[in-house]
Amino acid sequence: MVGLIMLFINEKHSSIVYWVSVISSLLIFGLSLYALSLFDDSGSAIQFELNTSWIERFNINYHLGVDGISFPLILLTTFITPIVLFTARTSNKTNLHQYLASFLILEGLMIGVFSALDAFLFYVFWEAMLIPMFIIIGVWGGKNRVYATIKFFLYTFLGSVFMLIAIIYLYISTGSYSIFDFYNLDLSRIEQVLIFLAFLFAFAVKIPMWPVHTWLPDAHVEAPTGGSVILAAILLKMGGYGLLRFSLPITPDASNELSQIMVVLSLIAIIYIGMVALSQTDMKKLIAYSSVAHMGFVTLGTFVVFLNHENISSDNMTLAISGSMIQMVSHGLISGALFLCIGVMYDRIHSREIDDYGGVALSMPKFAGLMVFFALANAALPGTSGFVGEVLVIFASLKVNFWIAFLSGSTLIIGAAYTLWMIKRVIFGQITNEKISDIDDLNVTEFIPLMILAVMVIAMGIYPEPLMKLMHDSLIGLSETVIKGAGL
Amino acid sequence: MTFNIIGFILPEITIAFGICTVILVNSLSKKASIGLIHSLILFFLVLALFFSFVSLEIPDRIIFNGHYMIDSFGTNLKIIALIAAILVHLTSVKSKQNIKNEIFLVQLFATLGVLILCSAHNLLTVYLGLETLTLSMYGIVASNRSSVDATESAMKFFILGAIASAIFLYGISILYGVTGTLSLDSLKELVIISSLEIRIAVAFIACGIIFKFGAFPFHSWVPDSYQGSNTTAAIYISSVPKLGAFALISRLFLDALNAMSEFWSVLILSAGLFSIIIGNLIALMQINLRRMLAYSAIGHIGFVLLSFSIVSDTGVSASLTYLLMYLIMTIAAFGLIESIASEDHQHIELSDLKGLSKSHPSVAFMLLFCMFSMVGIPPFIGFYAKWMVLSELIYNDWIWLAIIGVIMSVIAAYFYLRVVWFMYFENADQPIENKGLKNTQSITTLLLSLMLFLIGLYPNPIIDYTRIIISSFLLID
Repeated sequence: MVGLIMLFINEKHSSIVYWVSVISSLLIFGLSLYALSLFDDSGSAIQFELNTSWIERFNINYHLGVDGISFPLILLTTFITPIVLFTARTSNKTNLHQYLASFLILEGLMIGVFSALDAFLFYVFWEAMLIPMFIIIGVWGGKNRVYATIKFFLYTFLGSVFMLIAIIYLYISTGSYSIFDFYNLDLSRIEQVLIFLAFLFAFAVKIPMWPVHTWLPDAHVEAPTGGSVILAAILLKMGGYGLLRFSLPITPDASNELSQIMVVLSLIAIIYIGMVALSQTDMKKLIAYSSVAHMGFVTLGTFVVFLNHENISSDNMTLAISGSMIQMVSHGLISGALFLCIGVMYDRIHSREIDDYGGVALSMPKFAGLMVFFALANAALPGTSGFVGEVLVIFASLKVNFWIAFLSGSTLIIGAAYTLWMIKRVIFGQITNEKISDIDDLNVTEFIPLMILAVMVIAMGIYPEPLMKLMHDSLIGLSETVIKGAGL
Repeated sequence: MTFNIIGFILPEITIAFGICTVILVNSLSKKASIGLIHSLILFFLVLALFFSFVSLEIPDRIIFNGHYMIDSFGTNLKIIALIAAILVHLTSVKSKQNIKNEIFLVQLFATLGVLILCSAHNLLTVYLGLETLTLSMYGIVASNRSSVDATESAMKFFILGAIASAIFLYGISILYGVTGTLSLDSLKELVIISSLEIRIAVAFIACGIIFKFGAFPFHSWVPDSYQGSNTTAAIYISSVPKLGAFALISRLFLDALNAMSEFWSVLILSAGLFSIIIGNLIALMQINLRRMLAYSAIGHIGFVLLSFSIVSDTGVSASLTYLLMYLIMTIAAFGLIESIASEDHQHIELSDLKGLSKSHPSVAFMLLFCMFSMVGIPPFIGFYAKWMVLSELIYNDWIWLAIIGVIMSVIAAYFYLRVVWFMYFENADQPIENKGLKNTQSITTLLLSLMLFLIGLYPNPIIDYTRIIISSFLLID
């Protein structure tokens, strides 16, 4: 896997640049599919490894590779990016070529984050990603974009510098930046807790977990449609991925000890943020808060098994974590699609306020159908991918503690409440705003991506087996490492 | 024999000869074309650089009765200083009317001072180099004679600088009084135990050094002189003299007064730490771009000093790496600012940057590189600089310092991002009417911005280079 992306800075013909970037992103998706066909999903070994020396003096290697944990997320990245690029032309943008270039750079860096096996390299990709995202929100964002993008940047930067300190500390302890060398490190309890917290700080901001989620609604609201999609679909997943790649295996004892706090934080995210989402009047904000709530499931699934020591086994853990993983992928698809939908409406009416809409179904039937479908998927309708992830996590929690499962299950109700209520007010009902009566339905550029996403959501909802199989062995491997490390 | 000795100091001789030539040309023909003088200066700088490379081959030796040390450490620092001086010269705009030719001549003097400092091996030579440098710096700041601001800041700088020099000299004289020697070699042998007198002397010398670095608590001249003078002056005083200060601190503290390292490292450490805090916090409030960069420079120098105070070969080489990367960033940033400053509009404020991405896309894009590099975001070099310093701090169990350092970099991120914000996210009410980059300037800034990025992708050469310089220096001990 090569994460290098060309940069289009030439300001010649935006349409040529547009097609070149769409095609190149499609090619990258094709490459990742080709890699998928070569990928051997038995065993948890790293595949497609690339390891060359980078900074010899500090034993830093340019070490890339994928396993069953990172591969689904890479596929998600390469899948979402062409969609984002494809829809880039629907709304009027100045400097389209720069917009596209930012996304391509971003894609390369995101793939880099998911495939880096050297902690230093991981950090480089992780931080470098801030630059294109900062520019995307800042240049093409909404009214309050400067505030949002600086908040986004500073939050994430503050979180990740602590991760840098933890990584350097681990390097000094092992003499290497390789993540796998970190796994074998014998750390004292206090070291583990501190390192866990340092990593958590970085990942919690990114996921985002309550109470460090406040940058997300702002960033989402102000970002252009494509920025929101990437942010929700992929950037948030990096936090969850980081927990699996770093926190659990490097500091198993600390993960075990602090799992209660993590579970409580996740439940707060699921329930409290769900409630917050209910009261939103801005559609993007509503979906942003629902993202926080859904990502709460990811952290819940990651840590819930630690609560019941008698019942802990690599199978149970794999069940819970695969729930988290599926939740991540499915949330990537669904929230991405919902932001695209909102973008479609925004391009026509130039408002995100729920109150400005009503009766969209009458003038945009095709769109209304898709939007209702994604909203239902967001509320975890059985048969959609959203259901699979949440149910797996709830199952895993049920094995641990009934009340955790009960509380997390309540999200199905809250989630249904806020999404369906929004749908009711926006899509159905009488046309209150005159503008809505003369808008056009979806054009081809808007229809195709949404349709593809809808097909994917259904496919994953009905038959999640291939995805499960893809990551199963790697997750087993991970769980065994963690359980052995925590001495359970 | 005499010729042989001169052969060792060819770089210095070249610069000195260059100074004489430029003075002659400038005074003999009133209408000597500006281009000629600049090419002369450039020629002598390049020639000196060439001779420095040649003298890398010379085995280490001490000449002029122990006053002058030719070693690879000094020569390498000279090479860096000359390269920096050449880059500064190339980025400066020469055709402006309010900038007289003298400023470039005085810059040559200052460069000579830096070269002397790199090789000085006796307290007197050290002072000679230091004063050559400092006096020229006053001249550089004051060169904009018609401006009240420049004169005021030069005056402040001169008074503070004179006091700092006096304190430094007082420290030297105490040291001489206690040990009876001025030679760094004998000092090293004689200063073994730390008596009160020596402590006082070291503290006084440290004041002088910290002043030269422009670090807390002797930083107040930095913002004034960056802002008060013109950008051409600011580029120079923000870059080359710092190398002189680095040579000074290495020769005096790391080498001669190594026995006192426990004492002076605390001084340098606290100066560095407070520079990071004060510099970055005050920079938050600045709206004048040069003043903001001045405070940010104080913050950067804080990192250099913090890492230096570790007193290990890795710590000092991290410090030198930070300094080199700081030089690249700062010359590039000031060069770009110079390109958008018009003659009657020298004070570039943040609001002047509005819409720069539309009116001068290439300048804005390179300035974006500089700013993200200064924040410390990979893959730009500023990140590697910070990372190396942090690694050293953590390695020496100073995690708290590392945490303060990173928190201050996050705070610093705000004001750097503000530059990007004004350039890219705001539209201009009044676009800057300026031609933007001019020939040599555009090539140099482009080269520097590329370096910001390319060295970021492959930082090995600089990391290894500084390591070699420092370990060769410490081996002499």
